[in-house]
Amino acid sequence: MDLNYVKRLMKLLSESEVDEIEIEEEGKRIRLARHAATAPEVPSWYPPFGVNPVAVQGVPVTPPSVAFPSATPPSPEGAGYHEIKSPIVGTFYRAPSPDAVPFVQVGSSIQPGTALCIIEAMKLMNEIEADVAGKIVKILAENGQPVEYDQTLFLVEKS
Amino acid sequence: MFKKVLIANRGEIALRVVRVCKQFGIKTVAVYSTADRDSLHVRFADEAVCIGPPNSRESYLKIPRIIAAAEITGADAIHPGYGFLAENAAFAEICDSSGITFIGPTPEMIRAMGDKAVAKETMKNAGVPVVPGSEGVVKTAGEGLEIARAIGLPVIIKAVAGGGGRGMRIVREDSEFETAFKIAQHEAEQGFNNPDVYIEKYVDQPRHVEIQVFGDRHGNVIHFGERDCSVQRRHQKLIEEAPSPVVDDELRTRMGEAAVRGCKSVNYLNAGTVEFLVDKDRNFYFMEMNTRIQVEHPVTEQVTGHDLIKLQFRVAAGERLPKKKIVPRGHAIECRVNAEDPAAGFRPSPGRIKDFHIPGGFGVRVDTHAYTDYVVPPYYDSLIAKLIVYAQTREGAIQKMAGALEEFVIEGIKTTVPFHRQVMADERFRSGKFDTSFLDTFQFHAGQEGEGPA
Repeated sequence: MDLNYVKRLMKLLSESEVDEIEIEEEGKRIRLARHAATAPEVPSWYPPFGVNPVAVQGVPVTPPSVAFPSATPPSPEGAGYHEIKSPIVGTFYRAPSPDAVPFVQVGSSIQPGTALCIIEAMKLMNEIEADVAGKIVKILAENGQPVEYDQTLFLVEKS
Repeated sequence: MFKKVLIANRGEIALRVVRVCKQFGIKTVAVYSTADRDSLHVRFADEAVCIGPPNSRESYLKIPRIIAAAEITGADAIHPGYGFLAENAAFAEICDSSGITFIGPTPEMIRAMGDKAVAKETMKNAGVPVVPGSEGVVKTAGEGLEIARAIGLPVIIKAVAGGGGRGMRIVREDSEFETAFKIAQHEAEQGFNNPDVYIEKYVDQPRHVEIQVFGDRHGNVIHFGERDCSVQRRHQKLIEEAPSPVVDDELRTRMGEAAVRGCKSVNYLNAGTVEFLVDKDRNFYFMEMNTRIQVEHPVTEQVTGHDLIKLQFRVAAGERLPKKKIVPRGHAIECRVNAEDPAAGFRPSPGRIKDFHIPGGFGVRVDTHAYTDYVVPPYYDSLIAKLIVYAQTREGAIQKMAGALEEFVIEGIKTTVPFHRQVMADERFRSGKFDTSFLDTFQFHAGQEGEGPA
């Protein structure tokens, strides 16, 4: 077996997405396999993480955390910003009533105590207030959308 | 039949209910606290809604959040499991007014049976034997002694405001009565801010034998035979079996008829359990009623061939109970596997399960929500698995349980598996001749992991 041939094969393997090459020719056979990083041990008969859909329509599925079940997994978009999370379960509304102006928009300045939204639960309208001062950077829930406890609603750049 | 059911519970019972829903083709909604994000019932349910932080009071007991979760997912029924809100009449009422079917009895029944005094009165009026006692509070020792003599010693003096085994004094002799009475009043005052006491006959060496009952919306009430739950530690059941070693056909018929009579008198609906104390002369006395499905329901399922959770759904949806008489066959035993250290006074042992292997085979059933790498949270009760075996005879069941326990591997935390193994090897347990004081004198031998006492 020509060593250069083998080296060329190795380079080919490393530059591609292929994990394994096996070539047989003229009675000679060579097999090269990429050493796969060990995946965390997950019993193969359980559905993979992240597949379980969350009830609420349209809410992005946050993959559950394995190591610390009690910790809330960070919102994929939340890096660097303060997250305002839902303290209850219910339906999210941007404004105090259907025809009214929304409480806040992207760019709105907020203070602790500023009303941000309504979450309706069991026919009661709960006003959710800001706990920090800053600026609304992103609104992650849609008007009329069901939300769950701890779900990130707003991203805030703290001032 | 319901289209979508929300399971207002967690752990093994939540998974149990999810399984039944799958059999019916009913969509499932799991609710969970942030500590239960990786729970099996969450993973296997069709939808899941986070309802709060780990603390039960802010999650599994938080009625508005659970109802809100049902509303936003469009669930048309809720199964409350056991514990948590299962016997909360207010919750059942709110389900009703929200147009959601509560899979269980009505709020009125929950209230009636939840009040021990009312329950006792109801049963008594239906001709069910109750533990004889004073009619309410006893004010003086003189009055008390008269009542005690009428009931027949031994008696137990209990604080009205007491509970959990506290505020009780047993009196076996006339001469001890006055002193015991005064001490009891004093202790009640100190412990519960209320010196009121009442008197009950003390049932010596009682066995705890309960009857599984079911009522439907058509006025039918039936029973599924008994369970013996005498192996208890501080009033917490650890091992249950069906049938009871001391109940023969004749006693079963009498107890069953009494339980059914009591439930019929209130038009009982859905699953319930009537608990009795059985004394050494095989007299039975009503103790209390639980208006929910119980942890130990599987042993009844094994000996009767009926899926009781499935029956709860059917009854709640308006179907009739089975007409054919239910005759228990064979013998079933359940061991509750708790995350507790029997060598350290059953101290809770939460944490990560490093290795998890459950036994199997013919007549071996495990109801569990645990798995390898599962982290048993410290916030809830310690039950992580129920190991249930079924065999033709009690001896066969004990043998099967011993083998299954040997095969049950749970590493990384302490569990009651070694304790159960020693009980299965215990002569008194094997004889079937024991009562609720059994564990008071049972010695667990630590350091013999994997072996029974020599």
